[in-house]
Parts: sequence; C-alpha cells; structure tokens
Amino acid sequence: MRIGMLSWEFPPRIVGGLARHVFGLAGGLASQGHDVHVFTLDFPGAPAYEEIDGVKVYRAACEVGHPNFLTWALLFNHFIEKRMADACRPARFDVFHVHDWLTAPAGVSYKHLSRKPMVLTVHSTEYGRSSLHSPDSFTIDGIEWWATYEANRVIVTSGSMKREVCDHFHLPWEKVTVIPNAIDASKYNVSVDRWSVRARYGVQPHERLILCVGRLVPQKGIEYLLQAVPKVAWSHSGAKFVLVGEGWYRDHLQYVAHSTGQGWRVRFTGFVPDSELVALLASADVLVVPSVYEPFGIVALEGMAAGVPVVASQVGGLTEVIEHDRTGVFVYPRNPDSIAWGVSHVLSNPDHARWLVQNAREVVQKAYSWEAIAMRTADLYKEVVGVT
Amino acid sequence: MKLGFSYREALPEEFRLLSMLHNIGAVTAERSLTVDEITKWTDLDASVVRSQLQKLRESGYVQLFEAGGVEKYHLTTTGITKVLTLYS
Repeated sequence: MRIGMLSWEFPPRIVGGLARHVFGLAGGLASQGHDVHVFTLDFPGAPAYEEIDGVKVYRAACEVGHPNFLTWALLFNHFIEKRMADACRPARFDVFHVHDWLTAPAGVSYKHLSRKPMVLTVHSTEYGRSSLHSPDSFTIDGIEWWATYEANRVIVTSGSMKREVCDHFHLPWEKVTVIPNAIDASKYNVSVDRWSVRARYGVQPHERLILCVGRLVPQKGIEYLLQAVPKVAWSHSGAKFVLVGEGWYRDHLQYVAHSTGQGWRVRFTGFVPDSELVALLASADVLVVPSVYEPFGIVALEGMAAGVPVVASQVGGLTEVIEHDRTGVFVYPRNPDSIAWGVSHVLSNPDHARWLVQNAREVVQKAYSWEAIAMRTADLYKEVVGVT
Repeated sequence: MKLGFSYREALPEEFRLLSMLHNIGAVTAERSLTVDEITKWTDLDASVVRSQLQKLRESGYVQLFEAGGVEKYHLTTTGITKVLTLYS
C-alpha cells in the first residue's frame, strides 16, 4: 500500500512521544513492504527531503507567520498541503494517516480531493491536556472533534483514550480502534558503565538514582514527585533525583524543588540525546512516571525495556501497560506520600525489583514491538481501503 | 478527564514572547528579526521586548545574530522545542 502520513513532529523535531511514534510506525510499515511518505514541518538543519530506512520524509517550511499559535498552525497546514500536492502527482496514496489535530486540516483536504480514506490517531486531546479554558482552546477542541468526524477510522493508543474520545466527541464505539504504542526494545538492551553514567549526573556509588523522564508540563505530575523528595530522602538518605526533559513549566518545578529544602538532591538536565537517555535508563535504580494525565505513557515501556523498575501513577494508558507488583508498581496520582511509598518499596526490596524488571522485559518484547503494531495498523488500513 | 489548570494563562511573560517569535517564523538566522520588527509583530513596548529577549538569551532559547551592524534575534533549536512543548 502507498501510505501518506502527516505529523507536525518527526525527528529531529522531537517534543514528546509523537515523533518517536510516527518514526517507529512509519519504519515498521516500510519494513513490511509498504510505500510510506511522511509529511512534516521543517527543523533547523534537517533536509527538505530525505529517505530514512525506506521511509520518504518531506519537510515543509511555513513561509507565513502569525503571533497566535492557532493561526500559525492553520497556516502551516497550507504549506504541508502544498508539499503533499507536489508528492501526490507521482505518488497516488491509498490512505492518509493523520496524527493529532495539528495536521488534520491538511489531511481532511486531501481526503476530499483524492477521495481516499483518512485514518486519524488521537494521541491526546485538548480537553485532557489542559481543560478547555480559552477561545483558542475551544477551537482546538473543535478541530479535534471535526478530525474525528471526518476520519474514516480513529486510532487511539489505549482503552482509556478510547473511552475519553468516544465520550467527549460522541463517536460510535466501533469507529475507534485501540492500537498501542511500541518501542524498539533492542535499542534499550545495552551494556553501559552505569557508575560513570551516574557520576556524570552527580550520583555517587553509594547513592540511589531516581529518574524521571518527560516534558516539563503539568500533566506529567512532576511537582508531586518533587514534593515526595523529602519523604523518600527520609528513608533513603542517598537519594538523588534526575529529571530529564524540557518544557514551559520548568521554572515552576525548579521553584517547587527548591521549596522542599532538598533541591540539592534534584538535577534538571533539559533534553538529552537518545543515546544518553538510554544510558540513564539503564543506570537508574528506579524510573518514576508520576503523570496525572497519560494517554499511553511510552516512557514506562522504555524503562521496562531498559531494565529499570518502574513506579507509575495509576492513570490512563499506564494502567494497561503495567501490572501492579508484577511488571511495575502503581501509586496514586497527585499523591506525594504514595509516590514516596512506591519508590521506597522498590529501593528497599532489590530482589523484588529484579523480579519486576524480568517480568516487564518479557511483556515489552511480546506485546509492544513496532513489527506487531505496524501489522495491526496495516490491517486497519486494509479495512478502510476495502482490501481483504 | 479534566486537569483543572489553565496552563497557557500561567506562562511567564518572556515565554509568551518566545512563542510569538516562533509563530512568526524567527527560527533561523536568515529569518531573524530586529527589536523594531518584533515590536510591530507583537504589539509590545520596545523596552519590554528588549528585557524579555535578554532573559530568553540567558536561558539559551534565543540567539543574537548581527548582520551589517544590525542586531537581530531568532530562536535556538532548544527554544523551538521549548515552544512546541506547549501544544504537544
């Protein structure tokens, strides 16, 4: 099949899990013999066109700006459409796959122009991300509804997201299919000198490295982890916390860390390269995912694949990825006491932690490979295209 | 599930400017803008723009670019990514 895929994020334009998802899915589909074309936005240093592992990547520059984000997003869709028009002349696509609202206008246009089906993956909703609090926010919510209405089929990455989109956008249950996220588990099965990795982040051999990876935004619940720092330190005096990621909420989080009186235990790294992230995951004593809203939670899978025990909030997609006290440990969201309990539970029981890691690795390898997820996505494409 | 916070209203002022610079396209040296141009685009006072640009430069989100004796500003890749976290 010839597949056109639209996403505003694609490496090296990486913000959250979306870029990694589209990269993994496109590569998985291409490796199964499909002709995959990804349309995305430009990024300094990235070429306007390239082929990566058989995936054709087209990057569009937004040549007209506007201070308002929403207006800008609608403008860049025009330039993505233009890029698609150039590519569509030689390549007639069988199906378009849009990821999130940001590229939905271009996808919907092409659906009608080409009379080909459109599949939409809703990775998260405006309603869930931020509540609907401003005119722009309501418009984004409206675009999300419109995209789900126009799509021939909607994909979500977890059962909790299926309930959310069906409830909020009043979608028929059968229109929405759950296909989970995936990772390349082999990438995380690496041998690293964990003591030198830890030393780079100021963690001495006798200390414990508690890692948190995610965008520094409220929905990731990082402030609750920071409020748990003194509670963890009370039972583990050598606890050090490394927070990997960037986001507009960073200043506030740094203030929260400072206000606990234990800010010296916390290190904000900003973004780190993928190779360094893998090394950190493989070197940590525990990975905490304290989200308050999490459609899927790919970082939990990454931790499970890297062999670090995962302590996660019992919310959203995380409840489907982790089995409590078998492949990870659940804690209550927005609850520093519970987070501190979860972290201490893992740190105080190293044999149990090793057992959790072993179980988690098996689950990741069996259920969350890109090969399996690409096959399920291709089956859904065949359904909407009418190929059996 | 509603989170109960209005995050875009809670942005620091200089981050609003960073977001606007991104949206109007000041993301490379070739597309960098002078303080005067930024003032016109954003409808902010020049003194406010200068002060916020200084903070953004210190944070590594904005870079100064000098061409022919004219000072212009554009986002760094870290600055671009910072803006994108808002809507992703």
